Amino acid sequence: MKKVREFMTRDLTSVTEDTALKDVAELLSMRALSGIPVVTMQNEVVGYISEKDIITSMFPEKVKIENPDIVGFTNLSHIVKKLSRVGDARVADYMDKNVTIIKEDTPTSDVAELMLHKDLKRVPVVRNRRLVGMVDRSSLSCILLEEGCLENVCL
Amino acid sequence: MFLRKKKEQQEETKSILTVTLNPAFDHILTLPELKLGTFNRSPETFRMPGGKGVNVASSLAIMGQEVVATGFLGAQGSRMFEEGLRKCGVTTAFVYVNQEIRTDFFVIEDDKNRQSLIVEKGVPIELRYLNNFKSNFERLLPSAELVEFGGSFPEGVSYSFLKELVASASKKNVKVVLNLKERTLLDTMEGVKPYLVTPDLRESKSMFGQDIYRDKDRHKIIEELHKRGAKIVLLKYGNLNYLVSNGVEKWEGEIELGESRIMIGIRDAVLAGFIHKCLETNNLGEALKYGLGAGRSTAKNKRNHPNSKQEIEEFLLMAKVRKLA
Repeated sequence: MKKVREFMTRDLTSVTEDTALKDVAELLSMRALSGIPVVTMQNEVVGYISEKDIITSMFPEKVKIENPDIVGFTNLSHIVKKLSRVGDARVADYMDKNVTIIKEDTPTSDVAELMLHKDLKRVPVVRNRRLVGMVDRSSLSCILLEEGCLENVCL
Repeated sequence: MFLRKKKEQQEETKSILTVTLNPAFDHILTLPELKLGTFNRSPETFRMPGGKGVNVASSLAIMGQEVVATGFLGAQGSRMFEEGLRKCGVTTAFVYVNQEIRTDFFVIEDDKNRQSLIVEKGVPIELRYLNNFKSNFERLLPSAELVEFGGSFPEGVSYSFLKELVASASKKNVKVVLNLKERTLLDTMEGVKPYLVTPDLRESKSMFGQDIYRDKDRHKIIEELHKRGAKIVLLKYGNLNYLVSNGVEKWEGEIELGESRIMIGIRDAVLAGFIHKCLETNNLGEALKYGLGAGRSTAKNKRNHPNSKQEIEEFLLMAKVRKLA
């Protein structure tokens, strides 16, 4: 069975805790990503910030996301004001600090189980806590299909 | 706990970081002859990630070296660029700028045995991206053993920006390699003691007023660069002729170029091979030989990096290397 280092995306795109949310939003949009790891100046992973975290920062009350009609026109100016403030807010206040990380030698099946169990789209890969790559659902599914095909051939 | 920490520290492999501030796609168009002012059809075209540091990175990855490539990258069209590099084994850490990625067009005329290059200018880099780059660069340094700077500058990026990066790496005791044109090289070297310098004299063919095609002059160039702080100097003259010195030893080497149609990335591959072997063995002669093998493999390859590690090892046997002092 393959290990993470054999199929991870060797990319270190990340942000730090003091990055502004508007810069994260621009980065996610430019790179068409759903989320990105947050690292220290030593490149150690300390969190994860996703597009969902950014949207939630603008609409912190869960009810407004589930029932957008409730927001109504009366609250619109309030939301616009909030949006301008949130853009300058820092990643540290909105990131997920309980970030799930995996090591390079983790087997494919363990990663698949973890991503399914925790409903993760992307997981940072680390070596001594330092970011060395990313695993996402699409690359994982390709590997799983490949390994499944090989097993069928063996059978 | 203490033992675990110690084991983790031992496990940590430091990588080589390459910086390309102005990368671009190398787009190769081959045709029998380019007819100006009329319709031309190219029977063979291909596109690959390019730029000095990028070529060094892909060559190092082919050699099995852990390498991270950074620089500014136009966001639009960059996916193919990064995937191309990752396929070679390079880890990418580019700072995206909100513009289209540049393309350099190489027109190869087979019947004329001629090559022409058309370079796109690109859009100026905004100040906010410079700050992002500095932060990104600082984060990559703790994992780096050596950082290589090569290539030109995009608009909006000054020499002082490069100097800041070089000074920062030097301060953190990361070995610095400078693969730059004469003026930029000399400006950047001020106040730092680079591990290796390799002046890019493709256009000027001279340095400090000395002609690189004259043996005596080459030695003068090398001496002057040592005086200015370079630990190792790697000087190219001719097709694949090199002179290398660490101030104590001097080596000269050459290898036949063979029938090469596409002369892209050869010089960068020699540098990559030299760095790779020099870090491993600390032997100038061995390092030069390996570099020449890498250059010859790249000359044979259509791509801007060597074909394989095995091919480098086959070609390096053809390299003629001798110790001068």
